[in-house]
Amino acid sequence: MKIETERFVEKAREGLANESQREVLARLPVLFKGLRDYAFSTLPDARAALDTGAAIRLDAVARLPELLKQFEENVTKNGVTVLWASDYADAKEIVLKLAKERNVKTVTKGKSMLSDEMGLNEALIASGIDTFETDLGEFIVQQAKRPPFHIVGPAVNMPVDEIADLFVDVMGVERTTDLNELNMQARRFLREKFLSAEMGITGVNMAVAETGTMVLVENEGNIRYSTSAPKTHVAIMGIEKVVPTMTDALHMLRLLTRSCTGQAISSYVSFINGPKNEDDLDGPEEVFLIIVDGGRSKIYADPEFREVLQCIKCGSCLNSCPVWTKVGGYAYGWVYSGPIGAVLNPLLLGQDRTKDLYFATSLCGTCRSVCPAGIDHPKLFLKLRERRARGDKTFGGKKPPITERLTMSTWAWGLGKDSRYRLGSRLFRLAVRPFVRGGKIKTLPGPGRGFTEVRDLPEPPGKTFRDRWRDILGAKSDG
Amino acid sequence: MNTHVSLFIPCLVDQFLPEIGTDTARLLEGLGVSVSYDPRQTCCGQPMINAGRTDRAKPLARRFIDIFYEASKDGAVVAPSGSCVHTVTHHYPELLDGEYREKAQDLARRVYELSDYLVNVLGVTDVKSGFTGTVTYHHSCHIVRGLDIMAEPIALMDAVPGAQMLPLPDMDVCCGFGGEFSAGYPEISGAMVEDKVQKAIATGAEYLVLAEPGCILNIRGYVEKQGLPLKVLHLAQVLADRGDAPGKEAAS
Repeated sequence: MKIETERFVEKAREGLANESQREVLARLPVLFKGLRDYAFSTLPDARAALDTGAAIRLDAVARLPELLKQFEENVTKNGVTVLWASDYADAKEIVLKLAKERNVKTVTKGKSMLSDEMGLNEALIASGIDTFETDLGEFIVQQAKRPPFHIVGPAVNMPVDEIADLFVDVMGVERTTDLNELNMQARRFLREKFLSAEMGITGVNMAVAETGTMVLVENEGNIRYSTSAPKTHVAIMGIEKVVPTMTDALHMLRLLTRSCTGQAISSYVSFINGPKNEDDLDGPEEVFLIIVDGGRSKIYADPEFREVLQCIKCGSCLNSCPVWTKVGGYAYGWVYSGPIGAVLNPLLLGQDRTKDLYFATSLCGTCRSVCPAGIDHPKLFLKLRERRARGDKTFGGKKPPITERLTMSTWAWGLGKDSRYRLGSRLFRLAVRPFVRGGKIKTLPGPGRGFTEVRDLPEPPGKTFRDRWRDILGAKSDG
Repeated sequence: MNTHVSLFIPCLVDQFLPEIGTDTARLLEGLGVSVSYDPRQTCCGQPMINAGRTDRAKPLARRFIDIFYEASKDGAVVAPSGSCVHTVTHHYPELLDGEYREKAQDLARRVYELSDYLVNVLGVTDVKSGFTGTVTYHHSCHIVRGLDIMAEPIALMDAVPGAQMLPLPDMDVCCGFGGEFSAGYPEISGAMVEDKVQKAIATGAEYLVLAEPGCILNIRGYVEKQGLPLKVLHLAQVLADRGDAPGKEAAS
């Protein structure tokens, strides 16, 4: 997928100026919050449930090597062939090799963020394999050649009219804006693909170490179809997806569907334990699982960032984020958007080209408060900023420009002694005096410009608090 | 009970909004608390932490501890700000090492955001405010999520007999300040504050009350630039009001 993280500011501006998108984004948090709150209210103690989720994910990530080994043993016993890929290129090569060996002409795909990271669709199509996303939203963005707007609802921003036109172009159907009919058009089109596909490719929501089970969560039945109709099922998962026990998986499932779509349970949950048995009516004849590192072991090795691997990709941090719900998903320029994108994109792509993602946040902490996996996003934004300030190269940080460094150092120096602080306060008053109009500073040049573009700043009062306090003390001792 | 308070006045209050500081002092003294202020204090270093410059924040953190540690041993440190308190209570212990870390952890237990101190330490909700007007309340991020303080300011406002409280939809959604964020990303921050102000005005309230100085600069600055009919006050200004026109100096 094309990387456009450097264009955050420009794309955010486009998002803010897009009226129809703003309308969707204004409704989305209200809708999601209502659904989510209701879904969580059905649990006896929602806070405890979230804390338990955080603990499960913390434990799973802490024991990642051991759990992956256990999972590999058990999933292999279940008849699944496990293949390991160190990076995206490796993983794509494995998929292409499997497809070529089986003379695959058509692939149906279940939604997978990892596959977007890898650019798997592009690779398959470039090799002459017809590849169809089968989740409705993902199908729409694939056909429209757009990046996902939201990690759960990739086309949630697209107006019905655009989808109607797109379907005419792609499928040669009669134009309609009736939602059910649009749905049926996609369904009829994809039904054919399911029936002819020789290979189904899906992601994995959870990998259960103790049983070797792959858990897949969806609402449309397209994953169930992709994992049962084609003769070959290829699942791809990042190394972080493992959980210790089935009990853990079921708890995370409760949190995932509630956090994701506000459902107590999704319409479909598949527990895949290997290829079909002899007496099974359907199911794939062979199942492959590609476990992909793709930059994750580097994150795992860094104690300050490891917790981001706890993410279960539910999307609730996007839905509640006051920045994401203003600028939309495209601004983030790659697979992941919102608070989780502002951490994952820098760690996976390098933090220099993604700088705006972890600076364009007010650190409001809503993401952390809704996360079912115990991630403290604001803390991670600050860690990324700290690494950048130090010029730490682990995730491709580059030292800030000298002007930025000097501004901050001088400011901090000025705060280091009250005499310097008072001098700075006087200098500031002198410096802003030319910009004061009627008790207000309407426009400032330099670093204050952005603030006064949107707001007035009050004229700094003649007496600071410390001056006033001295007066108060003086009056008291006089009295 | 802690009856001595060492005032922790954020630099934004000192420089731009001193009336919030004097109202905080007056309010506490009116409740029988002895109040002191150490003029050596400058800034807690929050801007440096947010910029990733922990190297520059550390000396400021140690300095803060040197000023407040002994002075508050038999009392409390109280600030009319949540984000500055959050910096001291949540960031300092991680930022510092050795003896200073221990002191930071110890100090964190006696540093309070104003409404927290009033309700949970002094045990007061009715502070005999003479304020009158229709009011809606905004929960600032670092108070509501950073410090987990939500019921306290509402209890204080509810106890003001002349204040008619109107509910603010999405009352805990960020106003778009975020310090450097507001200057660095003015379009995004501007869209957020616009949203907040529109919702506040739609309640029909004359006043929007909150307890975070940075958010006040942001929201009030937007209201004034746009010439909108909303007065923005700090909780301390409402609570310290003696019935004379509230916060005239800043909110007119």
